[in-house]
Amino acid sequence: MIQEALIASEFVSAGLALVLVYFFVKAYRFKSSVHLLGLPIGFSFLASSFVFLGMSILYENDVALSESFLWLRLITQSFGLAFVAFTYHFSSKEEKTATYFLGTVSLASAASILLFLGVLVVTPPLVQLPPVNMVDEYFRIANLASLGYIIYYLFRHRASLYTSVSHLKGVSSAFSLLWLGQCSLFIWGIDGSDGAFIFAHVVRLASLILFISIYYLSTRGLK
Amino acid sequence: MKSEKRSKCQIYLDVLQVLSEEIKMNNKFSLTRIAHRTNLPYDRFQNCMDRLIQLDMVSHDSNGRYVVTGKGLEYMEEYSRINEFLKRMGL
Repeated sequence: MIQEALIASEFVSAGLALVLVYFFVKAYRFKSSVHLLGLPIGFSFLASSFVFLGMSILYENDVALSESFLWLRLITQSFGLAFVAFTYHFSSKEEKTATYFLGTVSLASAASILLFLGVLVVTPPLVQLPPVNMVDEYFRIANLASLGYIIYYLFRHRASLYTSVSHLKGVSSAFSLLWLGQCSLFIWGIDGSDGAFIFAHVVRLASLILFISIYYLSTRGLK
Repeated sequence: MKSEKRSKCQIYLDVLQVLSEEIKMNNKFSLTRIAHRTNLPYDRFQNCMDRLIQLDMVSHDSNGRYVVTGKGLEYMEEYSRINEFLKRMGL
């Protein structure tokens, strides 16, 4: 029962992340700002990481396959959060500098290569990687750092932004929930408590719903 | 108008906004004035107007005057919504 609920939560999270990708692609098409590309790329990676985790639970009887999916999940999640953090970092810089574009493309290429390597691991096990539970803590620390940077950026720029502080409460809360989710997973990695694992899933779903609600609040704000 | 490079979408929006303002203020506005207000050379402005007509965002009424269509108004609203969304995202 719990397994089914977890798989469902992963696929629902992926669906919600894809809705966000749609909003961000729309924003990119309207604004044509290269730095905004990081958001759809980042959330696409996040969506795929949720699918990979769901698949790893679905195929948990096949240890090798499940392990490969967990590897893919770790890589895509960390890249996704890094892309979102880069988007915030570059948003306050000059748009015209081509290095941002090059940086984004380089990161996208690096991510694609790693993803490709991951796929190689999934099909025939050509590359032997260490067990996920030996390295996942490092990835979670990287994720916490990316999310921590975004939250810090939002707090630091609140005063200088042209928008009112209350407008940024939603996005700050959403990223804080994602950060809490990663913290819970970190704790779960140490003590293996079910509570921490379930909490991580709940706050992640809540944060994705909050992101989507920001879009609809923006619509309401105009009326 | 901003001096930084505008996207095509931003230019369409600026033209639509200025055009609807001019229509509201005065029915006998000049296109040169709109081109000037949108910071566009007249030939580029004319191309932009042709494209907006092609996209059915601007049309002519029975008296031959320019009007912003429902599609044009929808476009302006969508653009404002995206701006507001990005503002709320802290971007």
